[in-house]
Amino acid sequence: MTRGLSLTRRGVLSGLAAMPATAALTGRAAAREAALTIYSWPDYFAPLSLDGFRKQSGVQPVIATYESNDAMFARLNSPAGTGFDIAVPSQAWVPQLAKRGLIEPLDHSRLDFSVITPGLLNREFDPGNAYSIPKDYGFLGILYDPEAVGMEIASWEDFFTAGAKPGVSGRVRMSGSGWETIGPELWLQGLDWNSATNAQIEAAGQRLIGFAKHIRSFSRLQAGDMANGTFVLATTDQGTARRAIAMKPGLKWVLPAPVTELWIDNYVIVKNAPNRDMAYAFLTYQLLPEVQVAATDYIGFPAPLEGLRGRLGADLTDADMIFGGSVIDFSKVSSFVVNPDTIGTYMRVQTEIQAAAAG
Amino acid sequence: MAAVPALWLGAVFVVPLVLTVAVSFLGSSFAGIDDRLTLDNYRQAASGFYLAVFGRTLLFAAMGSALCVALAYPVALFIAGLPERWRLRALVPVLIPYFASFLIRVMALGMVMSRGGLAEAVLNALHLHRGALDVLNSPAAVFIGMVYVYLPIAVVPILVVLERVPPALTEASRDLGAGPLRSFLTVTLPLSRPGIATAVLLTAVPMMGEMILPDLLGGGRGLLMGKALSSQYLEAQNYPLGSAMAVLVLAAVGGIVALLARATRGFDGGRP
Repeated sequence: MTRGLSLTRRGVLSGLAAMPATAALTGRAAAREAALTIYSWPDYFAPLSLDGFRKQSGVQPVIATYESNDAMFARLNSPAGTGFDIAVPSQAWVPQLAKRGLIEPLDHSRLDFSVITPGLLNREFDPGNAYSIPKDYGFLGILYDPEAVGMEIASWEDFFTAGAKPGVSGRVRMSGSGWETIGPELWLQGLDWNSATNAQIEAAGQRLIGFAKHIRSFSRLQAGDMANGTFVLATTDQGTARRAIAMKPGLKWVLPAPVTELWIDNYVIVKNAPNRDMAYAFLTYQLLPEVQVAATDYIGFPAPLEGLRGRLGADLTDADMIFGGSVIDFSKVSSFVVNPDTIGTYMRVQTEIQAAAAG
Repeated sequence: MAAVPALWLGAVFVVPLVLTVAVSFLGSSFAGIDDRLTLDNYRQAASGFYLAVFGRTLLFAAMGSALCVALAYPVALFIAGLPERWRLRALVPVLIPYFASFLIRVMALGMVMSRGGLAEAVLNALHLHRGALDVLNSPAAVFIGMVYVYLPIAVVPILVVLERVPPALTEASRDLGAGPLRSFLTVTLPLSRPGIATAVLLTAVPMMGEMILPDLLGGGRGLLMGKALSSQYLEAQNYPLGSAMAVLVLAAVGGIVALLARATRGFDGGRP
């Protein structure tokens, strides 16, 4: 038996050992041929966004992926962060990337910003869009089952009230990001999550630590878990909400008062990009209206194109859900920015909230 | 040629370890380190909230590992008792899941345990449960996941040791009047200590740094050291504090190894 096992194991191990070697060779070959490398979230480009550009330029972009903004930042901030031309960070990390000289100021004369929705430009994380161009955006909203919750939800206060009700408690989902969990209470107190002090964040966090016993999960929300009743109240973006409502039409999604989050993923050009001209050609192509429409269709979050809604197919019955609502007031949403003085507090208080949820 | 493994070990193990230890004694700035020598990181990592997290992680790994070994032992005993030609066939179903991606296995288990999933249907059909199954996003789901994921690596070392227990010894104990239970408790179980120790090591060590299972099956409630540590490195970009936590986890792992080595003393050279 031992010999049989040993032979099998050797065979399997040889096969496994060969796999990374093959992958590495393929990756190197691709890198040699490529004249554009993009560092992005996985599966974040429509076929037209890449194939169309290849047809136009003769260059097939190589996509390297990350799973979180902080992992992306850590890599760009390390010696391993070279060789990329374009990255796609969320707004929160753009100021830190710029401050550390990890991304380059954009040459506005080479890009057409006029096609972009004005509400998405010149926001506090990048005044004048010196470094970034919006790729797509979304909101932190509340998805709920009105029947199970037994009340209408319009504000963050309603969220906390509903979450503590019998039958709802224990079926609530909140985010795993400290600022998205503590932010709602800061907004209710009239504070700004970007300028709140450590003491204010700690104080706001106390309400969440008290509320934690009602929370079932801080993990990524699966649309099916709202449809099958695992959760009846959850904070989430409109993309997940749209999928959940398609499965269970009775669910509702709202952008709560007084303030909620607008997140924007952005194109930036990485410092010392090896293929800067090709990067500008790629960004110019991505801003073409037809490419933005295709990107919206593919990823389910709106591209920043002004007048995009009118260009989407008339058969798209839930277009409002793609945009987060029929009318969005961009002055009532706030975009989080990583502040080195307070990010540690957000994170630590979040860990205390998650620990409190375990009882 | 002997230099190759030494270089390899040096490059992928010793250098990162030394760097981690060195960074753990340095001052921190956001996404950076400064050259100020300090013990503050250890003070922070080993006090208050993080000390509780550390304690909870040790308990979590101990319970998870004990559960795995408790379930793996009868499986290994059963396989070891089979005729030789059947042993490999019996081991294959235990090992096959281990060759699938860790993430795929955990996500598949999540689907099985979710509301309306396979587990709910089976339990309802067998009248062992009524209505929706609400086990996902709970500590119970995390422990089920740990047993599912780590069971194969607990079965193999126990099986290897059990196969080497000379049948003559158990036969002798039976000849001397011991019943099956006494023979197992006084002969087989003590002789399988090295297998149990290896199984504990192979399951408890990865559990000390586990962060996927609590997130995907436990809903992220109840923080463990793996997540706390990665959050310091990534979200808070506090490399020195993250390094100090990593060194403490490493010290705990070293302690586990020392305890297990002590527990299996006298088994060297294959001689019981």
